[in-house]
Parts: sequence; structure tokens; C-alpha cells
Amino acid sequence: MSSFWIILTGALVAVTCSLLGCYLILRRMAMVGDAISHAVLPGIVLAFLISGSRQTIPMLLGAGILGILTTFLIEFLHKKARLQEDASIGVTFTWLFALGVILISVFANKVDIDQECVLYGEIAYVPLNVWITDTGTNLGPQAIWIMGSILVLVLIMIFTSYKELLVTTFDPSYAAAIGFSTALWHYILMSMVSLATVASFESVGAILVVAFLIVPAATAYLLTDRFELMLVLAAVFGILSSVLGYLLASQIDGSIAGAMATMTGLIFVLAFIFSPRYGILRKKNEADKTGMIIEESKV
Amino acid sequence: MIIQVPNPILEVHDLTVAYHRKPVLWGVDLTLPAGSLTGIIGPNGAGKSTLIKAIMGLIPLSSGFVKLFGKDLDEVRQKVSYVPQRESVDWDFPASALDVVLMGRYSQIGLFKRPRKADKEVAVECLRKVGLQNFANRQISQLSGGQQQRVFLARALAQDADIYFMDEPFAGVDAATEAAIIEILRNMTTSGKTVVVVHHDLQSAVTYFNWVLLLNMRLVASGPTEKVFTQDLLQETYGGKLTVLAKVGDLLEKQQFPSREDKA
Repeated sequence: MSSFWIILTGALVAVTCSLLGCYLILRRMAMVGDAISHAVLPGIVLAFLISGSRQTIPMLLGAGILGILTTFLIEFLHKKARLQEDASIGVTFTWLFALGVILISVFANKVDIDQECVLYGEIAYVPLNVWITDTGTNLGPQAIWIMGSILVLVLIMIFTSYKELLVTTFDPSYAAAIGFSTALWHYILMSMVSLATVASFESVGAILVVAFLIVPAATAYLLTDRFELMLVLAAVFGILSSVLGYLLASQIDGSIAGAMATMTGLIFVLAFIFSPRYGILRKKNEADKTGMIIEESKV
Repeated sequence: MIIQVPNPILEVHDLTVAYHRKPVLWGVDLTLPAGSLTGIIGPNGAGKSTLIKAIMGLIPLSSGFVKLFGKDLDEVRQKVSYVPQRESVDWDFPASALDVVLMGRYSQIGLFKRPRKADKEVAVECLRKVGLQNFANRQISQLSGGQQQRVFLARALAQDADIYFMDEPFAGVDAATEAAIIEILRNMTTSGKTVVVVHHDLQSAVTYFNWVLLLNMRLVASGPTEKVFTQDLLQETYGGKLTVLAKVGDLLEKQQFPSREDKA
């Protein structure tokens, strides 16, 4: 049963992150996920100090607020200080992460966490942390409920606002011209990324979240020219990575989250080699292909 | 020479725009008549794109205001369309030509709703108008520059607006496509639409447009093409640049013996 919970948690994290990742890579903001995953550290520490417990909800709240603050800071430095986007990401998250490290070291006697547990997480402990109601009913691991609800939120966002997200991603100036607020959709998306990152850190850890945010989406990008299909493929690769990752980890008796992230990379490499359109095997025939298109367009 | 018109479709009053405190446009004051095919002409860095971005509300104004149909942009957004520069988007985006044209329907569809069959039919029809009906499902990176530009034009057509602002629609397209596009723009204006185009080729401007704005940070002239295309005004717009002045001389000669007829 516990391996089922672990795989399910991994799959929920993977699908949530892969779907969001599709938008991130097309907006050239892949590294924002990386930034958020580090920058939430002071939020987690502060939430711990204020609430005095390792309860999930205050942690999520503290980290979520910091995550959104991070995206604001990145935007602010980029727009107002005229810093390049990547430079403002670099300034923001290293600084916030360092702040978190200092907070931990200063309050070390009061704080029962360290940066390692935030950065690496431990998915193997997921089945141990179950949600038991006041009446004593066992509802299964907490992580499943938290990741499940965030996935539902992400799905609601994509289903109701598919066209808004699409047009603000593809052509922000046209979107603004027809009256869609690009800033609003940017922050909605970034809030979702913050939530997903923060909720995942307990299980797969902040660093491996980045693998799920970027790699399955990048794999899907190599394989399709249709955005809907890219979302579906990314989700499928996410699930596949967590199942295969778990099998690999139990074979070699290694880190489960590490094995899952390794699988995302392996699937990416396979796609890179065998992609029907962009794969390196295909590129040998590139000359024929362009010749074909020119002929087609003459028709 | 700035000619103001009664009942203008577009009114720009005392418009000043600055990027990081460096002014790009100074005190632009102009009105455009409905149904005109207007060219915004000026040297590089004259603020041509900035002017239409400011009109579309895409950049903050330092001073002044813009009225379309006598109202604020937010009240009439559905009737206003915009074609950004082709290089402003990533053409490797996983979308087909039809997907992009369908975006032209988004403002009509309304928040949280999905495009319907009728919207798809409009999009297909607009692709047909620009001659790309056979490319509807082609991924956009596999279109030529001219075809991509026509996809943008089709998207604007799908919006079924009354006034269109186009940023360099002739940039990087071949002569045949340019002729096809100008033909479409002319058909639009004869059916009562107003089209405003950022353009930087003086030679073709004379024959393409029936109204011209000469811009070089300040508005030098606004009026019917034949009144605005004078040596003095062009010289004022382009300054003392020798090569340009030589071109201006050529142009004026051509104006006296027009080689190309304006069929609009």
C-alpha cells in the first residue's frame, strides 16, 4: 500500500508541475520555478517560528506568500531597475534563500528544520504522515490531499481559462490590445507555480520540483506542434517518470525522488533522439524535409 | 502642416511618451478621417511603433489622451484591432495557423468561454481571404515570413474591427505578398474600415496611402498624401540625411510623372 501512496504522490506532483511547466517554458520563464523553490525558505522558517509547529497549512501559507513575493520582486527588478530577466531572477532568489539560511542558523535552537529537508524532501515518508480526522477516520496521507487539491486548482485554471493563458503566452501585446490583462494572468500563473512548488517541497523537495516543472514539458515540446497535445503529453511523461522512477529506486534501493527526476531526464533524451520532427535521427533528413515543404507550398 | 478633420475616428491630443524619462514622442496632436488608409512614415527611431502602441494603450503616456470613435479605448476595444510586429512573437510556438487566427475571435467570445464552431468558420474564412486556406493546420514555424505576416493579418480580420493598427506589416515580405497585403487593406478601406500602417519605404508610400503622418519624435505633418509629400516636409522629417534627400528628389520627380496608378 505504501508504494502505491508514494507513486500516487509522485504522479500528482509530476502532473501538476508538468502542466504548469508547459506555460513556463513557452513564456521563457523556466527558471522562475527554480527561483521560487529556493526563495520560499525564509517563508517556511517564519511560518514555523510564528505558528510554532510543523503543521502543513501555516507552512504552505508562509511559503506561498514568499513565492508570490518572489515573482513580484523579479518583475519589479526587471521592469523598474531595468535588470535583465535572468539577472533579476538570480538576485532575488539567492538573496531570499540566504535570508532563510540565516534565519535557520539564528533560531537553530527553536527551529526543527534545516535547509536540507526543504531542498531535498523525502517522498518515502509520505505514507507515514496520514490525515486522521477527529473521529479517528484514516483518510490516507496528507500529501495526497494537498497535492490533489492543487492539481484540481491547476486543472480548473487550464479548463476555464485556456484561451486567456494561450494568448497571453503566445502574443502578450496582442492580448493586451484586445483587453486581456497580461499582468493578471502572469500573477495567476505564478501563484499556481508557487503553490505547486511549495506543496511539493515536503514530498519531492524543492530542487527536484524543478525537474518536474521543466523536463516533461520540454520533452512534450520536442514531440508535438499542438499546444493541447503538449499539455497531455507532458502530463503523461510526468506520470511515467514517477512510476518508472519508483521501480528504479526500489531496484537499486536508492533515493525515490532522485530516481523519478532521473527518469524525466531519460525520457527527455529518448525524445531528443527519436522525435519525429526535431529528433537528431530526423535531422539527417533535414534537407529532404525542407525540399518537400517548398514543393508543397507551390501547390 | 497638420490637417485636422471634423468627426475624426481617431483623435490624439498632446501625446507625449517617454521611455525611462527619455522622450520618444513629443506633443503629438492629430485627427484621422474614417475610411482612410493611413501610413505612418518617418526615419528609424522616430517613434512610429511607439505611436500606435501608445494609441493601443500598450505603453504608459506621459501626457495627453487618445480618443477612438470619440470614446476611451476601453469602451470601444472590440472595434479596434492591432497587428504587432512579426518579430514580437516566438514562431516556434506549438500552434497552427488556424489557432493563431482563432485568437482574433477571443475578445468576442468572452471570459472563460471557448471558441465555437461559428468562430472556427470565421477564422477559416479569414485565412481564405489572405490566401492561406491550405495552410490552416500548418505549424506556424513552417510558414514563410510573408505567410506569417498574412496569418497576423487574418487574425486581425477575424476580429471584425472598424479600425486597424498595423506595425510594419510589410517588413520582410516579398513583393508579391506586399502587393497581396496592400490589396486586402484597400478592400478593407473601401468597405468602410480605417487602416493605419507603420511603414518606412518612402517610394511605395506615395502609391499605397491616401493619408500620411510624417513623424520624427514630433508630428511633422498629417494630411492627404498629395499635400503632405512635399520636399520641405520630407526634408523636415528626415533632416539633412544626404542619401534620403537624394531619394526625396527622385520621389518628387516620380510624383510629377506617376509610374504607378493608385487604384484605390
